[in-house]
Amino acid sequence: MTVELPAGVRALAAPIRMMPNGAAVAANLRQLRPVILPIATAAAVLGLWQVGCGLFHVPSVILPVPSEIAVELWRILPLLAQNAVPTTLDSLASFGLATALGVALAIAVTYSPLIRDTFYPNLVAFQLVPKVALAPLFVVWLGITSESRIAFSTFSCFFPVVISAVVGFAGTDKSTLRLCRSLTASDWQSFMLVRLPFALPAIFSGMKIAITMAVIGVIIGEFISAKAGLGYYILYASSRMDTPAIFAALFVLCMIGMALFGAVALAERQVRNHFGRR
Amino acid sequence: MSAIHDAVSASFPRPIIGDAAWRLGRTVGLPLGFAILSVAAWELLCRVAKISPELLPPPSAVWEVLVGNPAILIEQAIPTTIELFASFAIATAVGVLLAIAITFSAVVREALYPNIVVFQVIPKIALAPLFIVWLGVGGRSIITVGVFIAFFPIVVSTATGLVSAKPDVLQLCRSLTASEWQMFRLARFPYAMPYLFAGMKVGVTMAMIGVVVGEFITAQAGLGYIIMFASSAGETATVLAAIVVLCGLGLVLYGLVALGELLVARWYGGELPTSGVI
Repeated sequence: MTVELPAGVRALAAPIRMMPNGAAVAANLRQLRPVILPIATAAAVLGLWQVGCGLFHVPSVILPVPSEIAVELWRILPLLAQNAVPTTLDSLASFGLATALGVALAIAVTYSPLIRDTFYPNLVAFQLVPKVALAPLFVVWLGITSESRIAFSTFSCFFPVVISAVVGFAGTDKSTLRLCRSLTASDWQSFMLVRLPFALPAIFSGMKIAITMAVIGVIIGEFISAKAGLGYYILYASSRMDTPAIFAALFVLCMIGMALFGAVALAERQVRNHFGRR
Repeated sequence: MSAIHDAVSASFPRPIIGDAAWRLGRTVGLPLGFAILSVAAWELLCRVAKISPELLPPPSAVWEVLVGNPAILIEQAIPTTIELFASFAIATAVGVLLAIAITFSAVVREALYPNIVVFQVIPKIALAPLFIVWLGVGGRSIITVGVFIAFFPIVVSTATGLVSAKPDVLQLCRSLTASEWQMFRLARFPYAMPYLFAGMKVGVTMAMIGVVVGEFITAQAGLGYIIMFASSAGETATVLAAIVVLCGLGLVLYGLVALGELLVARWYGGELPTSGVI
């Protein structure tokens, strides 16, 4: 589930040096094709949606046209923003908790063979358990509070972080570790200077999965228990058959999901720059 | 650890259990022992601390529900099983077909792939209430939710696999005047198999999430429904028993996928290029 930047985005980010004469424009256009084509496709789908719904008189309850959704989005934006706050905060809290717990457990698993042999197979088996099914239990245990949703969401997004961090720590270059030992580096030094930098790509790929799972966990929690939040709002709007409002809320949710994912991707780049290369 | 282990086994020769058997016993026995110990501790905790069974029933109570009242659980498991298998099968078929379309044509790839990657990131589960508006309450909308969620990892992973065939192999095919379709069947597809199965394994979990959440918010039947119903009635033992059945279903489907992978690997002569995707 790793996401690479398409070539076109990199082309966009690169400064344009020469004055755009004919050949340069054509070359730039070809470079920008990977950017333009998907955006054009998305725009074409939206256009088709708008025209098709108008042509076939699809009722707004079934499928509102994009323009109607945009108007509705603008109208209820304050309400959506208010509901977006708990959803975003809960997602961030559970993501942070899951990352901290996951990396800590991965370190324990890496350094103690006893813990590894005891815990790791159980962790892998747990990944297969449909953790969503446990959501109502968290309501029984912790009530319909925000803590209950954070606990559930942490629980559901914690496993990918542990597994990929363990894989990352295990993949450290053995000869580099041996070099550290022969240079009398302490355990702490060899961890900070070798193991952690080696494991970072794997940890971040786990974190990218975790941030999407964290939002999903919070939304499911809000479906079944909340009194606020975008998940609650979507269910509320669907019970009133207010389809434009559902779409408006979905749009805000997508923006939040992408912003959170983008933040993790940006953090990955910063950290990788800090450790140099790769 | 292994140095200590070697020293120990050198000073105390073990004539009965060999070194290999000892290691096997450790890798199987430790996690299994830990799991059994946890269940025993759970039972003991419930009995000693007299925790109310509504909050946390002891494992024996869950077992009683499973053995004592299997008819109701089996009855509820039937719709869930059908929905789960149907949504996974449809998601796999649609996902593989779309992945082939994406990799066959550069234009389709550049137009669709970035949009699909963006869709990966957004919390699709939030669309579940919309499917109810569109398809009504019942199996059809639940299957659609499952397909919609399970299908993205399969597309992305299969498409990654289809473009990851070695350039040398493709060049060889081309110089032997293989047609585009032959190249696909004989080179690209075998290379994509590990990726396809990795995507399908993620798809199993995702289809599970989709079906259970669909049943949470719509169903009149199914294990998700009984989990919601029993948790609101305070019958936590029934909730846990339903989760056990759900885990069994998930394991069966996952096992089928793993078996399929084994058979395909044997069909291709057991030389699938292994790789750690996702």
